[in-house]
Amino acid sequence: MPQALSSDNGRRYVPIRDYAAIGDGRTVALVARDGSIDWLCLPELDSPSVFAAALDADRGGRFALEPEIEAKVSRRYLPDTNLLETTFTTGRGVVRVTDAMALPDAELGPTRELIRRVDGLSGQVPMRWRITPAFGYGARTPRLERRGVTPVATDGPHALAVCSWDAGEAQVADEAIFGRFDAREGSSALIALCAAHQEPLVFPRREDVEGRLEATSAYWRRWAGQRAYGGPWRDAVIRSALALKLLVHAPSGAIAAAASASLPEEIGGERNWDYRFCWVRDSAFTLGALLELGCPSEAEAFFWWLLHASQLTHPRLQVLYRLNGGERARERTLELHGYRGSRPVRIGNDAAGQTQLDIYGDLLQTALVYTQAGGRLDRETGKRLAGTADLVCRIWGEPDSGIWEVRRESGHFTHSKMMCWVALDRALRLAEAGHLPRDHESTWRRERKAIGHFIETRCWSDQLGSYTREAGREELDASLLLGVLLGYDAGRRDRLPRTVEAIRRELGRGPLLLRYSGDDGLRGGEGAFLCCSFWLADALARIGQPDEATALMDELVTLANDVGLFAEEIDPVTNEFLGNTPQGLVHLALITAAVSISNANAS
Amino acid sequence: MSIWGALAGGFIGTLVLTTALRAANELGLTRIDLPFLLGTALTRDRARAKALGYLMHLAAGELFALAYYAIFVATDTSGWALGALLGLLHGIVSATALVNVLLPAVHPRMGNELTAANSSPLLEPPGFLLRNYGRGTPIATLLAHVAYGAIVGGFASIAG
Repeated sequence: MPQALSSDNGRRYVPIRDYAAIGDGRTVALVARDGSIDWLCLPELDSPSVFAAALDADRGGRFALEPEIEAKVSRRYLPDTNLLETTFTTGRGVVRVTDAMALPDAELGPTRELIRRVDGLSGQVPMRWRITPAFGYGARTPRLERRGVTPVATDGPHALAVCSWDAGEAQVADEAIFGRFDAREGSSALIALCAAHQEPLVFPRREDVEGRLEATSAYWRRWAGQRAYGGPWRDAVIRSALALKLLVHAPSGAIAAAASASLPEEIGGERNWDYRFCWVRDSAFTLGALLELGCPSEAEAFFWWLLHASQLTHPRLQVLYRLNGGERARERTLELHGYRGSRPVRIGNDAAGQTQLDIYGDLLQTALVYTQAGGRLDRETGKRLAGTADLVCRIWGEPDSGIWEVRRESGHFTHSKMMCWVALDRALRLAEAGHLPRDHESTWRRERKAIGHFIETRCWSDQLGSYTREAGREELDASLLLGVLLGYDAGRRDRLPRTVEAIRRELGRGPLLLRYSGDDGLRGGEGAFLCCSFWLADALARIGQPDEATALMDELVTLANDVGLFAEEIDPVTNEFLGNTPQGLVHLALITAAVSISNANAS
Repeated sequence: MSIWGALAGGFIGTLVLTTALRAANELGLTRIDLPFLLGTALTRDRARAKALGYLMHLAAGELFALAYYAIFVATDTSGWALGALLGLLHGIVSATALVNVLLPAVHPRMGNELTAANSSPLLEPPGFLLRNYGRGTPIATLLAHVAYGAIVGGFASIAG
């Protein structure tokens, strides 16, 4: 449905729901409905930004491209691609903008290349574009100059060239590169933002840029066509797969939790986090989803990234790692205004230093999924995973910060204990299959039983009729749904289904779920956590309620934005998106829920 | 004084020069990348260009070492100090003429003063004193060449 776009110059912040993503496996740009690119980090996704208007409308920098007159906007991804198509319908004609981050080809091209093609479809539409690069999260003002006729922006090791064809004369003034032109019916203008890092700029030729745009489109169509999913909600599943592929850091195989940093979980609040890291917690879902979708090379790359990264801290695991496998993620705040005043604006993530016991279960579950899909673990890897299981035996009784990374004193979170149970259960299964040494099997079995006893005696509430968020406390937590999804199986058979019902009853807001009840050490509140809603649909399918699951899933997929993407959270009243976007875990949960429901319906 | 010493110095000096410029790159002082600039004269393939560029740069380092050696023989003097002085001269010539004027003139993918509307150069030209690649480029280039010259001069005299 087209929506009106005013020609107002006083633009500040657009709804998070308005952002679509384009990327090239190294970085991701967020494109707003009004044609402005408000987020882009170069040369990598976890590098400092050159455009961050999403976090500071004044200082962040952006790349605006829009009609000079009022327009209605409709958008879509070109089918089965990550090329974004925005159509502006004005009183004087219609114009279509195609945005993509180009994939490199054999030609000598820029290190990173953002391409914007403007096609006039009818009439004559006055268009304007304005690029305000702001390197280093807006902290640095670039030098703007020209190489011949080409405007360039430089700052230390960073450089951008603005190559344009039929897009009006590029002008340089007032810390901006800008131009205007008329898009006539049948005309095609092209603007390529060409980035260099620690090397000279490459200025591409128009035919090379157009060739890369076509080749990039063809690559995405080919990649999407190879995905092996024929079940219900195919469009949503394939869009999720394409969104996840954008978050895969191509050189390492790591998957970023989201493309953005510090988009707020509460407007004006302090829950603003940097998600441009890879969380171990997402690994089991990631590997499972990649395998379900027929992405064996991505799955293999991800698993080996996980083993490589976790080797640095073995036998302990860090909660998250950098996309290149590094362990440093020091958190700091930036002097930016914040999305609609949401401060502090954080980069880095101190959750890296927290103790979160559940991640050991995620690692061993991932290894089990990998071997069940035919992967082999070498002797050294088997010994390392056995060492992880031994560690779990020693530390499962300690308090931790839990899956939601609470920033208060640690607690005995039920989900963490369940995942410790899963860790030892999977270690035993891997050992039985010959992938892990069997020396400590009896210890693993004994401790698995002890964890189960702890959960069943300390973490169950007759009053709630549910497992509780923490041992001895009368609170609920949607993460307990993962007990169903990952096969926790130490208690009475009716307890997990009753927990699912209690979570839906107490934490549900329509089709949505809040994460938990109780305190998390931060001020303010938050929206409904979207991945929990997909976990609920998944859990309903697994406990024998496929019709309920299908109905819920039907509702949930309609909550995506106009191009099929999800942010981390959603306001249950206004349906406004909250938090970082697009968020990998939500799309992973969507895929696994669709597969589970499809399987449940089939059986 | 020995030609083999000069050649050994040329090899090691080129490694040091390349490493120094790479370090300056990492420190954000410059975007110059000599192997990339040299290699793209032969191929459009980035990876191949860098590999070829390193080989070309090493070969050029040996040729310049021979030129230094000829000067050492002609003046019957060698040593790290004269080498460093030659390196300084070499750096200045590189920044003002060799990379700034000569390379764009012969590089098939780089713009130069004769470039007009009928061609579309792909590579950013270095500019006077190579400053297009960052304001720190002249000083980084000069220091790297001084180090190169000192190593060539030192090796040539040690071997003698």
